[in-house]
Amino acid sequence: RRELPDGGARPNAAQFKQLVVTALRELHGEVGAALPVDVLTYEEKTVSAILRVISSGLVKLWSALTLLGFYQNRRCAFRVLQTSPFLLALSGNSRELVL
Amino acid sequence: MVRFKNRYVLCEVVSEDPRCRQCIEDRALGLAVRDAIARVHGDYGLACCSISFTVKYLNAYTGTVLLRCRKDSYRLLCSALPFVRYLESRAQRYPCLLNTLHVGGTIRTCQKFLIQYNRTQLLRLLQNCTNEEERQCIQKSLLSCSLTEEQSQSGDEEEDDGTE
Repeated sequence: RRELPDGGARPNAAQFKQLVVTALRELHGEVGAALPVDVLTYEEKTVSAILRVISSGLVKLWSALTLLGFYQNRRCAFRVLQTSPFLLALSGNSRELVL
Repeated sequence: MVRFKNRYVLCEVVSEDPRCRQCIEDRALGLAVRDAIARVHGDYGLACCSISFTVKYLNAYTGTVLLRCRKDSYRLLCSALPFVRYLESRAQRYPCLLNTLHVGGTIRTCQKFLIQYNRTQLLRLLQNCTNEEERQCIQKSLLSCSLTEEQSQSGDEEEDDGTE
């Protein structure tokens, strides 16, 4: 699950995917841009998404998202909230669990 | 025990344009290769491969190039070499290809391979040449390089690299 704080215009799903692929292309070149990344869900209101990537590509994806600084000439940052090999685990965040 | 290990990649520049041979320079070639790595592997790949990247040896007559890089990133370099499509020097672009001949750990192994390769290339040229004078020329150079091998081992390397 990723969260992207932003100042103004919010990207839609296609633009979000384009942003991810652009980040990969900048850091890892054509090889990185060819990494199969899927946007499983995307919420435009909170600008957060669930991405799926092959496990050998996690390091490349995470590093590329961390180093992406600009969206439409506005500063932005990707915050990774949770990573897990199982989709079901993403539904509950054990860090925010209140006992 | 702890030392930086390098890989030496032996390539051959193949080009249809005959003027390209004259303008092969080490700086132009280095820039072309680095540009290809940046395109294919991005900033990370470029930085990885440029740590110890140089053009160690360049022979403009035969188009032989010896590149050096770190052992950890030689695969990135080798995968980016087919993406070098043109050499640029003095505001002229020449389309060319880079064939990878050999990857070795030391310059000496690459030199040994290059000698063997040049010998086989001379034989192939002998079979393919149509002109009688060319045939005489190549036969003479073949005989000279094989005779010196029997007589003296030390003079062998220089003879082979010079004849083509």
